[in-house]
Amino acid sequence: MRKMILLIKRDTWVFPYLRSYKKLLALIIFLGFMTTFSGAALMFTSGFLISRSAQIPENILMVYVPIVLTRAFGIGRPSFRYAERLVSHNWVLKIVSTFRRRLYELVETGTKSVYAKTQTGEVLNVLANDLFKIENFYLRTLFPTVIGLVIYILIAIGVGVFDWGFALAIFLILGMTTILAPMITLAVNGARDFKQQQLEAELYTDLTDTVMGLQDWILAGRTAELAERQQADFNAINQLKSKQAHFNWWRDFSGAMIIGFTAIVLLVFATRHFGGSSFGVNWIAAFVLAIFPAEDALTSISTGVGEWPRYQNSITRLNEMDEQAQAEAQLQTTQQAAQPSNPTIVLNQVTFGYDQTPVLQDLSLTIPDGQKIAILGQSGAGKTTLLKLLLGDEMPLAGTVTIGGTAVADLSSQRATLIAVLDQQPYLFASTVANNLRLGKLDATDEELWDVLEQVNLKELVVQLPDGLATPMSEMGSRFSGGERQRFALARILLQDTPIVILDEPTVALDPITELAVLETIFKTLHDKTVIWVTHHLTGIELVDKVIFIENQQIAMAGTPAKLMATEHRFQRLLALDHGDLMLE
Amino acid sequence: MLDKRLFKFPGARQALGVLSLLTLIQAIAIIGQGRFLSVAITDLWGGHQLTSIGMVLVWFMLAYLLRQVMGVAKQYALAPFADKTTASLQTQLTQKYAALGPRTVANQGTGKSVTLAVEGIDQVHDYLTLVLVKLFDMSITPWLILLYIATINFKQAVFLFVIYPVIVIFMIVLGLAAQAKADREYETFNRLSNHFVDSLRGLTTLKQLGLAKQYAQNIYDVSEDHRKATMSTLKIAILSTFALDFFTTLSIAVVALFLGLGLMDGATHLLPALTILVLAPEYFLPIRNFANDYHATLNGKNALADIMTLLEQPVAPETNRYVRRSQRWQATDTLTLEQVSFSYPNADRPALQQINLTLTGHAKVALVGTSGSGKSTLLNLLGGFLVGDGDVKINEQALPHLQQRQWQEQIQVLPQHPYIFHDTLRANLAFYAPNQRDEDLIAVLQQVGLADWFASLPDGLDTLIGEGAMQTSGGQAQRIGLARIMLDEERRVLLLDEPTAHLDIETEALLKETMLPVFDNRLVIFATHRLHWLRQMDWIIVMRDGQIAEQGTLADLIANNGYFVTLQAAMRGTTHA
Repeated sequence: MRKMILLIKRDTWVFPYLRSYKKLLALIIFLGFMTTFSGAALMFTSGFLISRSAQIPENILMVYVPIVLTRAFGIGRPSFRYAERLVSHNWVLKIVSTFRRRLYELVETGTKSVYAKTQTGEVLNVLANDLFKIENFYLRTLFPTVIGLVIYILIAIGVGVFDWGFALAIFLILGMTTILAPMITLAVNGARDFKQQQLEAELYTDLTDTVMGLQDWILAGRTAELAERQQADFNAINQLKSKQAHFNWWRDFSGAMIIGFTAIVLLVFATRHFGGSSFGVNWIAAFVLAIFPAEDALTSISTGVGEWPRYQNSITRLNEMDEQAQAEAQLQTTQQAAQPSNPTIVLNQVTFGYDQTPVLQDLSLTIPDGQKIAILGQSGAGKTTLLKLLLGDEMPLAGTVTIGGTAVADLSSQRATLIAVLDQQPYLFASTVANNLRLGKLDATDEELWDVLEQVNLKELVVQLPDGLATPMSEMGSRFSGGERQRFALARILLQDTPIVILDEPTVALDPITELAVLETIFKTLHDKTVIWVTHHLTGIELVDKVIFIENQQIAMAGTPAKLMATEHRFQRLLALDHGDLMLE
Repeated sequence: MLDKRLFKFPGARQALGVLSLLTLIQAIAIIGQGRFLSVAITDLWGGHQLTSIGMVLVWFMLAYLLRQVMGVAKQYALAPFADKTTASLQTQLTQKYAALGPRTVANQGTGKSVTLAVEGIDQVHDYLTLVLVKLFDMSITPWLILLYIATINFKQAVFLFVIYPVIVIFMIVLGLAAQAKADREYETFNRLSNHFVDSLRGLTTLKQLGLAKQYAQNIYDVSEDHRKATMSTLKIAILSTFALDFFTTLSIAVVALFLGLGLMDGATHLLPALTILVLAPEYFLPIRNFANDYHATLNGKNALADIMTLLEQPVAPETNRYVRRSQRWQATDTLTLEQVSFSYPNADRPALQQINLTLTGHAKVALVGTSGSGKSTLLNLLGGFLVGDGDVKINEQALPHLQQRQWQEQIQVLPQHPYIFHDTLRANLAFYAPNQRDEDLIAVLQQVGLADWFASLPDGLDTLIGEGAMQTSGGQAQRIGLARIMLDEERRVLLLDEPTAHLDIETEALLKETMLPVFDNRLVIFATHRLHWLRQMDWIIVMRDGQIAEQGTLADLIANNGYFVTLQAAMRGTTHA
């Protein structure tokens, strides 16, 4: 409970929006209330109507008002319900739009912690799922709870108008289902829900191990063991779920019994109060019958509140991300400089490392305008770190990184006009071919698009597509092969037209023949630009002006490919390996 | 609404029998509850004292209690059946996955396979409890109430009876209209709802293009479009619930009005009128409950159908036909493929065509070819993970396919991305050969070049690795995969599927030195793009468009000057003077 209050107090995701959309929220609660009210009022007026009619009044006009009201409430209940559902869904979806933008901006600000975590698709799904859960929290927990409580209080007040003693009794009796039951539910199910989430996570991991590692299980002849392990997981979860279900059954049973008891209290109350007079007796049926339609609204509080633990994690996670991002945003510098005229890159005695482990030590390198340079080295040698330093994503611990004399940190706002990046898996959006290309240059004409497509040898392919440039890429660009995807990304980069292009192992996922063809296209189309190419093997190495090897935090070897081939034994050996010297010795 | 296959589950008939009995008792209790309440109210209305109706109130409370107890009892009646059935389905699913093999499961989508076994089963459980209860309520309770009302007032009963199908028809018509509209807009709808995740995934690219900041507004706009599309569908979609609500509440109002008029004419008395008024909402309650949970019904039914379809998928027959001569593959053992072909489902051309192949003893065989030439398919077929057409023989033993238990116990596979289990390093290493001594495990780690990494682990061999624990790089995973193989000396057939494709050239060179000794005394089938391996191979199979273009020793193929020479020239690149 304390945890819940603390969370609500610190929350910036869910509850503040209630305040900023007060009016709509009031409308939803009003409509929700009116739905139940009409249902109860229908039975109330009907009860009165037939009781009064049974007294055989001389004139139908004497029951005219209840007749009209009965019809009105009969139509009112479904109409209010319909309106309530529409308005509440609309409200929630509106907030989700705001949430999405906010979550996107949060991830986008590039604060390292958030950014690094969102690299894997799984985290993204978790985040998108969190938003979905908040949607449900509003619809399934918050609205029904508030509406239920409003009805609860109004019932007590309604009786209180006639008799405060009975009002207090009803307040206490119904309080068992509207206040006590939700609290007990939260206390009992909270711990169970936590355990259940743990077990479910375990089950998912085990099942993923089963499915992804199925080949190994089969070969090892251990599939029987697999079924056994799964069985244990399932049993543990099912036991917990069964306990939860039993609790819910008996809770709902108690809720229903409380309503039945309330009906009798109302019967006694109505008889005591109205029983004396011949007209008054007609109210007895009215009061007693009205309580049953309110049952749903009152007992749904427990159900809604019982789901809270499910939403709690999502809300906590989003809030924590927010706090983290804010803390880091304050550390970022915002100085900005003018665009440099000459894009010469200079690394001067750069030292960098994570925690205690140095990655680069006193590294100096100058890349003049237009040079094509390849960066080689074993995995983990610091190639990617070097790129991050060039891009200004990381700051050197000592030394400077400048482009045209300006520190890269001061260039972050112009970075996209200065440096383009082609990495292993450039993202192609689930939109049309044209839209994907135009991301490189928003106002590019169709002619320009066709021009770059021709340069990257994709023109023929796109011409053949059913809708040409307007053909959807389909999700993740899965319509196209790996080589084609890289070419599309390259076309986008050509449109972006920056003086510097970084290639981060762009061909790692391709077979050697496709790889070579893509590399040739890349270097042909980027002939007038500075190209910095990180690669893990030597296919296409002769296309560059300069090769550097990074090893032991330093540049271990540097020179033109021709020179290295002539002088460096190690380079020769690697080249021989990579090209697979097949001549039989 | 009721899947016939449901009755095949053990205990189904009994559980459903008990359920209908309990529902029947509950329906009687509901009638009793309504009747006693009406009697109590009528008596009070007639001027009786509270004390004189005490007995009636007790009867009301008893009927009410019985009704609620029956509600819980129904759950108790169904729960064991539902638990047992879902547990057995879960086990069957896991066993089925194992029988179908990794390729079939991967084709279905690994995500879907996992979801089906968790969420799918959950939905079936809901179906077996909640939905069945509602279904039985709907088919018993209203009719009993109607029968009772008919004994009181036949005209009212006829009205209630007639209105029922009208409600159902309206619901169906409006439901279909909503479905049609939803179907029409489904694609837009889907595209819009995927847009957000799509944007988050592409954020790195957007940042590189300098568009990330501008895109925030786009996210908002698309989300708003999505809202509008959703709302316009929703307006119609919830019309069917509205119709249900509207007709049921209005029917109650109409019943009240008619009863009122009847009373004023003196045609009836308060007690029967009140009884009908109290029972009218109970008459409509089951169908309302059912309609509110209609989606749960559909999901549960579909999930059950999906699971049953999967369980009914055929598995390869005769997986125990092959009897090996010894656990270890001997130098004299022979594997032959004759005219073997294979097509993937829904593919327009076969992935393998008329493969003829003989692999003898401890040969080292390379598979080369461009992407899509059929190397991986052939390896999967040899591993028994795919079942094709044609003749397969091991040592003159004719076999229907290679998904043979004793054969699979002779082979080892090193794929491009060995799977690292979410488990300890020890369990990961000793996956094929449990009960290894720690010293042996550490020695192998040293051999595959993981000594430094091992030294940096917090808990040594007990360190948890894999997804969600300590992550391993591609190179490390590859070395762990190799270590697994080296720890099992009993398996002497080794299939390798481009294990070094994504490693840097120096790492590969180092790993090659460790791997070559492992190849000795084993039958090795090695698919690779990297030509330098070919010098260590005894035999080379060149694949092209699903067929074997050429095969022979390296010297043969070079002398032949055929497709292989063209291929390797293309692979070697531009220079190399």
